[in-house]
Amino acid sequence: MHIPDAFIPIWQGAIYWIVALVFVYLSLRWAKNELNEEKLPLVAVLAAGIFALQSFNLPVSMGTSGHLVGGALVAIILGSPFAAVFILTLVLIVQGVMFGDGGITTMGANILNMGVVGGFVGFYSFKGLKAATGNMPVSAFIAAWLACFIPALCASVELWLAGTFPLQAGMVAMGLYHAIIGVVEGVITVAAIYLIVNIRPDLADQGVLPTKVGAIA
Amino acid sequence: MIDNKSLIIGGLVIAILIGVMAVFLASSDPDGLESTALIIQGGKTLTGPTPPTAEIQENLEGKFAYSAPMPDYSLGEAMGSTGGILAIVGGTILAFLVAIGLVYALKIAGNKNPPRVLDR
Repeated sequence: MHIPDAFIPIWQGAIYWIVALVFVYLSLRWAKNELNEEKLPLVAVLAAGIFALQSFNLPVSMGTSGHLVGGALVAIILGSPFAAVFILTLVLIVQGVMFGDGGITTMGANILNMGVVGGFVGFYSFKGLKAATGNMPVSAFIAAWLACFIPALCASVELWLAGTFPLQAGMVAMGLYHAIIGVVEGVITVAAIYLIVNIRPDLADQGVLPTKVGAIA
Repeated sequence: MIDNKSLIIGGLVIAILIGVMAVFLASSDPDGLESTALIIQGGKTLTGPTPPTAEIQENLEGKFAYSAPMPDYSLGEAMGSTGGILAIVGGTILAFLVAIGLVYALKIAGNKNPPRVLDR
C-alpha cells in the first residue's frame, strides 16, 4: 500500500503532507504526554516488529501478495490512534528514506492512509465492537481487517485524484486485494495482542485485557 | 511476565527473525497497490496470476525522483541474500533506535527526568 513518488503529482503530495503533519504533531504531543519509561521498550519493539512484518510479503492468491500494515495493532495495544500515527510515521520514514519503499513526496499520503486512517479506524472500530460484543479477539480481528481495507480504498481515491487509477477499477482491485490481505492483518494482529498481553499485561491498554485482570489493574 | 530488558531483547530477536525469514520466504508477487497498477496498465488481470515479465510503467514527468541507498531492501544483486539480510536487520534496528531516540528527545525537551529504559 506504499504509494511511490511516481503515482501522485508533487503538489497533491504536498497537500497530503500538510494534513499528515497535523496528525504527526498531535502524535508527538501524545508521545510526550503519554509515554513513560515503562512503555518505551514496547513502543520501540513495536516499531521494529512492524518494520520487519511490513517487509514480509505473504501470498494472497490472484498473483498478489500482502503484508501487515500494523495501524490497528499499535492503536489497540497502546490504547490510542495517535500511537499508530507515531509508530507508522517513523517506520514509513525509515522505509521511504533508506529503502525506497513508498515515496518521499507521497510519504504524507502514506502516513495518512496507514497511520492516521489505519490507526483511527482500527482503534475506534475495536472500541465499538468490543463494547458491543465483549469479545476481544473477534473485535480486534474485524478492526484490523477494516484498518487494512479502508486505507486501501482511501489510497485508491487519492490515486484517482492523481489521475493514476480510474476510480471504479482502482477501488475494485484495491478493495478486493486488501479484503484478502486484511484477513492476514487480522490474524497477525490478534496473535500479537495475545503475545503482548501474556508477556507484559501491565503495558497493554485495559481495552484488550480480560475483565478480571483489567479490574485488578 | 518478563522485565524490560527481556522484552527488548526478545522483541528485537523476533523482529529480526521475521525480517530474515522475509528475505527467503516473502512472496515475489506484487503487493495490492502494485497489482492494481498492473491491472490499470494492462499487465495483469484482476484475478489472474502476475506474468513474470510484468512491470509497472512509472510516469516520472513532473514527479519527484529519489534514489534510496538500499532500494527493495537489498544491497544490490552482487550481495544477494546476504545483502537482503543486512538491509532488513539494519532497518529493523534503525526503526527501534529511531523510536527510542525520538521518545528520549521528546521527554528530554519536556522535562528533566528522561525515561530510563532498563531500570525495571
